[in-house]
Amino acid sequence: MATCHAMGRLQWRGPPLHQLTPMPVELQSPPSVRMTDISKSFGAFKALDNVSLTAHAGTLHAIVGENGAGKTTLMRALYGALSPESGSIELGGKAQHFGSSRSAIQAGVGMMSQHPALIPDLNCLENLILGAEGGPFLKLGAVRARAEELASRLGFRFDWNLPAGRLSPAAAQRLEVLKLLWRGARIMILDEPTAMLSPADGEALFGTFRRLAEEGATVLFVTHHLGDVTRYCEEVTVLRAGRLIGAMPVAQTSAFELAEMIVGRKLEPPAAYYPTLGPPLLEISGLNAIGTPLRDAELTLREGELLGVIGVDGNGQRELLRAILGLQPQVTGNLRFAGRGLQHIPTGKRVQMGIRVIPEDRLAEGVVEDWNLEWNSVLGLHRLPQMVHGNLVRLGARSRAAQEIVERFGVKYSSLSMPVRSLSGGNQQRLVAGRALYPGAKLLLAFQPARGLDLLATREVYEGIRSACAAGAAAIVVGFDLDELLANCDRLMVMSRGVLRSPPPGVERNPIVIGQMMVEAG
Amino acid sequence: MKASFAANGRNLALLAGSAGVLFAALQMSGTPPVDVLTGLAKGSMGSPAAWSGTLRETAPLLLAGVAVMLGLRAGLFNIGVEGQLLVGALTCAVTAIHLPGAGGLLAGLVTGALGGALWAAPAGLIKAYRGGHEVITTIMLNSIAALFTASLVTKVFRDPTQQSVTTSYIAQRMPMATPGAVEINAALVAGLLAALWLAWWLRRTVAGYELMAVGENPVAAEFAGIDRRVVQVKAMLMSGALAGLAGALQVAAVEHRYYDGFSPGYGFDALGVALLAGAHPLALVPSALLFGVLEKGGSAIQILGVPKGIVGVVLGVVIVVSAAFRTRKGGGDHG
Amino acid sequence: MGEIGLLLGSTLALSAPLMLAALGGYTSERSGVINIALEGMMITSCCATALIGLATGSAWLGVAGGLTSAVLLSMLHWLLTQNYRMNPIISGMGINAVALGGTNYMSQRLITVDTPDKIPVLPESLYYVLAVSLPVLVAIYAATTRGGLWLKAAGGDPRKARLAGLRPDRIRLGGLFATGVFSGLSGVLIVTHASRYVDGMTDGRGYIALAALILGGWKPVRAAVACLAFGFFSALQIQFQGTNLFGAQLPSEVWSSFPFVATVFALALLSGQSSAPPGLGKL
Repeated sequence: MATCHAMGRLQWRGPPLHQLTPMPVELQSPPSVRMTDISKSFGAFKALDNVSLTAHAGTLHAIVGENGAGKTTLMRALYGALSPESGSIELGGKAQHFGSSRSAIQAGVGMMSQHPALIPDLNCLENLILGAEGGPFLKLGAVRARAEELASRLGFRFDWNLPAGRLSPAAAQRLEVLKLLWRGARIMILDEPTAMLSPADGEALFGTFRRLAEEGATVLFVTHHLGDVTRYCEEVTVLRAGRLIGAMPVAQTSAFELAEMIVGRKLEPPAAYYPTLGPPLLEISGLNAIGTPLRDAELTLREGELLGVIGVDGNGQRELLRAILGLQPQVTGNLRFAGRGLQHIPTGKRVQMGIRVIPEDRLAEGVVEDWNLEWNSVLGLHRLPQMVHGNLVRLGARSRAAQEIVERFGVKYSSLSMPVRSLSGGNQQRLVAGRALYPGAKLLLAFQPARGLDLLATREVYEGIRSACAAGAAAIVVGFDLDELLANCDRLMVMSRGVLRSPPPGVERNPIVIGQMMVEAG
Repeated sequence: MKASFAANGRNLALLAGSAGVLFAALQMSGTPPVDVLTGLAKGSMGSPAAWSGTLRETAPLLLAGVAVMLGLRAGLFNIGVEGQLLVGALTCAVTAIHLPGAGGLLAGLVTGALGGALWAAPAGLIKAYRGGHEVITTIMLNSIAALFTASLVTKVFRDPTQQSVTTSYIAQRMPMATPGAVEINAALVAGLLAALWLAWWLRRTVAGYELMAVGENPVAAEFAGIDRRVVQVKAMLMSGALAGLAGALQVAAVEHRYYDGFSPGYGFDALGVALLAGAHPLALVPSALLFGVLEKGGSAIQILGVPKGIVGVVLGVVIVVSAAFRTRKGGGDHG
Repeated sequence: MGEIGLLLGSTLALSAPLMLAALGGYTSERSGVINIALEGMMITSCCATALIGLATGSAWLGVAGGLTSAVLLSMLHWLLTQNYRMNPIISGMGINAVALGGTNYMSQRLITVDTPDKIPVLPESLYYVLAVSLPVLVAIYAATTRGGLWLKAAGGDPRKARLAGLRPDRIRLGGLFATGVFSGLSGVLIVTHASRYVDGMTDGRGYIALAALILGGWKPVRAAVACLAFGFFSALQIQFQGTNLFGAQLPSEVWSSFPFVATVFALALLSGQSSAPPGLGKL
């Protein structure tokens, strides 16, 4: 068996095997869901390439893969949110064509997305029935009774008058489950349901899904967390880069095998780079932002270091960078830069101190769309001593700097006075990267610095970051592409559920180990 | 691109609709439209006296327009220009009456600007630190200003020797140029200087750059280390000061006293001036001149039996049409 | 005793137009459309009611004309903000300018020395009944019907409402239609009460109604209560003007400015305008 084979190579750290196998699967009845050879492209990008999926009633079926593997696209096709270019969908043996979500809902399909789609200022009852009110008059008494009955069947309790915005993430997810039941869903698609939940809340939620499966529902999970898959699910389907890699009962595989299938065996360990490190530049401990995934981050970054932070999106990376910049409200914990505590220093001062950023969303956070290249090039640098004379702008210095920034990574432009809106996304990224690496950077915070760039430009940007570090700066790069970070960063830390962890000594750059840490297989 | 084709079609429809409405209104006026238009042109530009009147109307519109535009570039709708103008005007009158000589007049202008800034401060603070929309607060402050300036003139600062309800006349006079018998008063000069100053300040100073960044993309501005809240409050204060100065100059250079109702709504018209001018401070000059022509001409054609209200209709249409042409595709947040 | 009766009576008379207008503000803003054009809709309704009433001699036609004119303006506001995607403040300001100028223009052109002085009207008490009952009815509508839920959803988060299958732009169309009707009723009442038309007779009450809506936390009944409070203070001012109240003689402006000062304080104290519909201004 595959698991025995695996045990020879690595150590099994999950729960005892005999506890792994939940209820037996009914193999005689027709599958409740059969998707065959589904393909879908968005422009030139092939999101799904002849993918098939079979799921049975009464089971918990997991669909796993990295960001961009096609999991969500496949489920959206099942939910009627998009039409596949080829392939067929059968529910309970009957062929279906969903023109819209409405027909899918009527066929008994319900989808719950990762971020609750609850309207915060409506109360729980109103959110429950929105879009499925059952008539122009809300018979609130009857509605409340039915809601209570549904909720108690699952062991939930809700204060129906509470505004939905005040629910905890776990309670919000429970309400979303109730929404599915309200609309009579027999096939439930759940996208990363436990992403925002603590382990205990996640376990409780899975208990609920188990109960629903026992009543005959088909529960499909899109997830990264292999721990959840091996603990709770009967069947699993693995996707990678839009293709079906494998589908099997969970009992016949292991977390390690799944991780290998997800990540792929194409990785060669890249050459390690041993920089000369200076004194600690950034010291973080106990960093927490209330109401966000950032729980208890800790790291020490030394001068010269290029640190990569890998992790599934939504585990606190965003909040970490914002907290270092000073844009995240309600932050507690220790934050020291070059020996100074940063807690009460405003963002403007931090930028002057040399903290530079390549933001996640270049349009919303990085540039002013209507401004020209010159003005955008100096946004954030506009107060540097060489750019100003008192309160006056040194126009010559500014346009020289803009020239330098724009040419640093080869932005294709016709003149500095063209609006940044007319640049392609890749060129906008080159501008933002060039700006962040303008001389004077001491700490670089980069969120996917090579987003939208080809291999050559990616290499140039990372070389630019490397030389800044060699000159005494340090960098934190947050990304989702393990290959990219392994190839370019000195060391990696994994961010999961708001906490930063380093891979164990000896396997700091082992992609399998890191992949497992990302999805908590170990 | 398909989107802009549809957008252009829509805008043309709006333009056509507005033209139709105006034409119908003119038809209704009983006077042939040609006569209305010539009456308007002659009344506003037909003689040195007409030009003087037009320029007199233009001056406060220009300076107040600068005030509004400064706010708009920072992303703020300062609707309170009217109230700030009144406060500035009364403050100037009272100061200049009680302090003698040129120094007193100068002090009047300064206190007028300060009064305007003070009157804009609550709106700026509430917007920056509380998120309360400045449109509502400034409208409220307008009404309070109108009530209180009227009351102060009637009860406290009234000159008992005058028949009408007014403050005393200021003794000091500001210089006035009269090229070719056309009067150019100090208020107009100040307005021109202010427009030039704003154009320069936005492009050549760090503070101006930061103000525009906050107005265009507050999030990106914060990522760039700009303190959004401080910039917003300062912008409101500056805008209020300019509006207050506009009022003060009206008193100092044109009316030489303060009386209730001296402003036929300069502050509100200034909103239209700024919206029509768009993004460039220098465009405020032709925009204010257009409004000045309409104001002066509008008074003139009243003799022809065309009610003043037609001017308001034209202004409203101009505001809406210019906004429609300027809206980016995708609209976006209106907050 | 008679004084109290007089006070209550004039309170109602002064509050009723505000209550109707504030209700018009509610149906617009609760569905997410910022609306500062109540003033324009009201004055247009005043003028249309007067002109059509005088021209036809029929009170009913006058009322119909008033309501229609206000609805036309509110539909224009919907078009400009939801279809042209214009900033709603600009749209509102433009509508107000056109309305104030246009009513001035029309009334001066069409009301001459010859036209009869008395405008045919329906009994005032009809409107008082409406002013008091409609906020309650609208509140009940919002709480117990699907339409009310949709209204709140569109103003709560139009994007998520779309995910739930709703059409926020259609919902806002209905909301703004109601705005036209209610603000039209307010204008009709103002003209009915004065029984003649005076240029600019709304006198900023559209903005006061907006202030009442804000003070009432964007809830119909609370906004109506705020309107009653404003009306009460106006009535107090009229009744006790010039007499010694609490040992001092407060200038009338203090009374008149009360609604505005109260609103500014309310906005300053309500942290982040937390009771505003979160989807206000969003598409």
